[in-house]
Amino acid sequence: MFRLWFDRGTLLLRGEVGSPYGRWDSRSGCYRVKACHYRDVLEYFGESRVKIEDAVLDLPAFEQLKCNVELRAYQSEALDKWLTAGKRGVLVLPTAAGKTFIALKAIDLLKTQTLIVVPTLDLLDQWKKRVRDYLGVDAGVVGGGENVVRMVTVATYDSAYSLAAQLGNRFLFLIFDEVHHLASPGYMQIAEMFVAPYRMGLTATYERSDQRHALLPLLVGDPVYSVSVEELTTAKHLSNYTFEKIAVDLTEAEQQSYDAQMKVFRRYLVERHVVLKSAFDFQRFIMTTGRDPRAREALLARNRALKVAVNSEAKLNLLAEKLETYKDEKVLIFTLYNDLVYMVSKRFLIPAVTHQTPREERREIMANFGNGKYKVIVTSQVLDEGVDVPDASVGVVLGGTGSRREYIQRLGRLLRKKEGKTAKLVEIISKETVEVGISRRRHQKTGEAQ
Amino acid sequence: MLPSGLLVVYKRKGEIQPRYAKLSPENLEVAGCLIEAYKRHVGEKKKVLKAFAADLENQGYEYRFVRALDLLLDRRGTFICNSKINPPDLRKKIFQATEKHGLPTTPETRQQILQLVACETALTTQDIEEQLYADLDTELILTKFDAPTPLELLQQYNLSLAQTLLFDCTELCFKASGNWQMLFYSVKKLGLIYEVQRDSELWVEIDGPASLFKLTKRYGINIAKLLPTIIANQEWTVNAKILWKYTNEICSFKLDNAKHSQLLRKPNLQPETYDSAAEEAFASQFRAVKSGWTLKREPEPVQAGTQVIVPDFSLERGGLKVYLEIVGFWTEEYLLRKAEKLKQVDANMILVVNEDLACEKLVALEKRPQLHFIYYKDKISLPPILRYLQAAFEETKTKEIKLLKNLPVKFTELMVRYDEFAERIGVSSEAVQTVFSADPPEGYVAMPNSLVSKEKLQQIQGILNQALKQAEKRKLTLHQATQLIEAEGLTDASTTLNYLGYKIAWHGINSQEADVSPPKQ
Repeated sequence: MFRLWFDRGTLLLRGEVGSPYGRWDSRSGCYRVKACHYRDVLEYFGESRVKIEDAVLDLPAFEQLKCNVELRAYQSEALDKWLTAGKRGVLVLPTAAGKTFIALKAIDLLKTQTLIVVPTLDLLDQWKKRVRDYLGVDAGVVGGGENVVRMVTVATYDSAYSLAAQLGNRFLFLIFDEVHHLASPGYMQIAEMFVAPYRMGLTATYERSDQRHALLPLLVGDPVYSVSVEELTTAKHLSNYTFEKIAVDLTEAEQQSYDAQMKVFRRYLVERHVVLKSAFDFQRFIMTTGRDPRAREALLARNRALKVAVNSEAKLNLLAEKLETYKDEKVLIFTLYNDLVYMVSKRFLIPAVTHQTPREERREIMANFGNGKYKVIVTSQVLDEGVDVPDASVGVVLGGTGSRREYIQRLGRLLRKKEGKTAKLVEIISKETVEVGISRRRHQKTGEAQ
Repeated sequence: MLPSGLLVVYKRKGEIQPRYAKLSPENLEVAGCLIEAYKRHVGEKKKVLKAFAADLENQGYEYRFVRALDLLLDRRGTFICNSKINPPDLRKKIFQATEKHGLPTTPETRQQILQLVACETALTTQDIEEQLYADLDTELILTKFDAPTPLELLQQYNLSLAQTLLFDCTELCFKASGNWQMLFYSVKKLGLIYEVQRDSELWVEIDGPASLFKLTKRYGINIAKLLPTIIANQEWTVNAKILWKYTNEICSFKLDNAKHSQLLRKPNLQPETYDSAAEEAFASQFRAVKSGWTLKREPEPVQAGTQVIVPDFSLERGGLKVYLEIVGFWTEEYLLRKAEKLKQVDANMILVVNEDLACEKLVALEKRPQLHFIYYKDKISLPPILRYLQAAFEETKTKEIKLLKNLPVKFTELMVRYDEFAERIGVSSEAVQTVFSADPPEGYVAMPNSLVSKEKLQQIQGILNQALKQAEKRKLTLHQATQLIEAEGLTDASTTLNYLGYKIAWHGINSQEADVSPPKQ
């Protein structure tokens, strides 16, 4: 009799023969198989008419779902594509296109133990609420100090990674929100160490600059459905938006400090014949700073200059004007540095959300922003991905890193469908500083008309 | 352990090493300087300390070194938020006031809101400004600091560097002089898998379940956690494989006690902690009876295939070694695994098993000759164990005597010590003594501890007679005679004197006062 069981993220098979996926493990004296091959192993033994004792699964108790999700046409189409692809695959939809609902509907169709993996604690809370509201069950939570497994469970990538050895045999359906994260060398092991045969990936940005998204078909399945912002906005599922960029002069003192610091940086580049044209050039430069104290001094000078430009008083004054203009709207202010978040929070006495904000407080702030009690909040990058910020109609960007994904998702957050609404995105940058370059790069990459 | 950004390494020809901080006067000074700063700043905000570290960086010290030291000290401090009001509550009041009165875009409107909240909370507006974000990490107050010495700090830094490098480890191989039970227990607790290999010493290879399929750094962090337990030993060697992320090459990372024990901070592990009261009671009971057996706790591991068993005790007497394992209250799964391992053991082992455990799998092992089962109910009783040990010893001795009798030996040495000879042959010295005393080889005399050739005895007789001639009253004290005999390499002085017919006249119990006189002709 063969016996197959789960051992810390892998399967062990005891018996006289191996399976096509197994490898002999002298340490334990039996065959070991990657957990993700669970279904293949069962099929192999089924075809060979060999009976095995399957002691792999340890599923949480089944709970009856009461699903009240109605899908739009394109959402149903996406779900069908996924079903016909063998209940595996990635759906590529822009933020706010209702990816969550497709996933919830899929859980209802499969009616099986499901783990939803998300990148941030904010998303963890959000999914938990959605499961409660639309499936009528309490979701288990793994991450952020909690560890409760239920029929439908939500976990962060970090917790799913570090607890894969304990969780890998407890679900049959895996949903990866923001699935592009899964392709990283560490997180991809989540896909390998779970036995679940059914898998769904969701993302607005399938491609990764490191090309590792090529691994996703192996881990979750092929991209089975894709729709762009343009297609959806013309179909009026998402609201339109306008974009405005305002450049302000630094104050005199700021300009002097900025120039002095940039001179240090440029002098280094000239003396060492360093050319910084691409992100790769810059990465190489950062590596030199580990060995060369002068390079490090140059880098620090550049960062100081950038900080002067980003944190400019002139920008805060303009921000005050803008807040006056938009005082009846819901405004979300983004900044690059935490310092600036707190500076803005203190100056305008408005709530701030950063990675340091206690979770309970963050939850409360988001809820109050959602129901309109708080009209303006300021945040650094923690909200960047997929978090619902309901109905924000104005976004103000004070600085950024020039990355493509960040920009799309910041936009996405403003694109909540509401009748007759036009969202506004305002970017405030300092004139004659490297920030102009960063902002230009950001737009070039998205191919956005300005 | 440190954030990987603070790790500094040397890499050359496939070898990688952390750039350890030398225990040099300059480094000790930097360490001392930071420790002093922490001591002086108890009662102040964390950001003051961070500024101090930043200053050191700006003075040209390696920034990763300074930051890492600062971080290690930070972890030894207790930081609290001691504001008059819970900052999140204060913020809530402020934001609610903003919501009610409108967002302040001028200094005047801002001041009004602060004023309103000040009235409500009985704080000043100054207090509010200061405490609005007093719970941010950099705003916390250092209240207690457990100061290390500069040397300890540098050693801690070096250990942390080594551990941080191990984050990128795909497998680690070590040998160590002891601490086995804790080592294997940790391996298990950390979700790792080991495999042992024996050349002349026992090497333990560590990785994890999924390592079988591909090179993975997944277990690196847990492997790093094992390092302190390994280096807590007197002697140890570590060879690790590091997957260096920047170049994607496998580098070898080596550490051993001869080169690195000074550099690294040795953790304080509690030696001799007993797993169970039963073990502890057994050990003290056994030591009390003085059975002639040497009891050793946590002996070296016994190999069982690619796995090991670290028995609770080893018992040694004259070349005979028996292991003893107390099987107390455990789960069935544990017993099954243990039984599986015991099948492969090739050493004498006593299993002292709690009767209530009645495990069929274990009972099935009773047939194996190298395993001996002794059952107990409430308390382990010694007599059955001692009886088994005595029987084992006698049995072994009988076998050895038989072996020795059939052994064609011919000596050329003037003297043969039993223990040396026994070790060479691989038997107990008791057996050697028994055989040679009964039937000494031609030309030799059997003494209690050695065989001595008649030729050698004649030489000694010559030396003694010479000394007697020169001595006052032609008498030597026993003490003097013994010294002369021992100078010739013999240990059994009085037996030698008796054999040669010398008379010993005792005048007390002191050998200085006993006289040795020549035999009467």
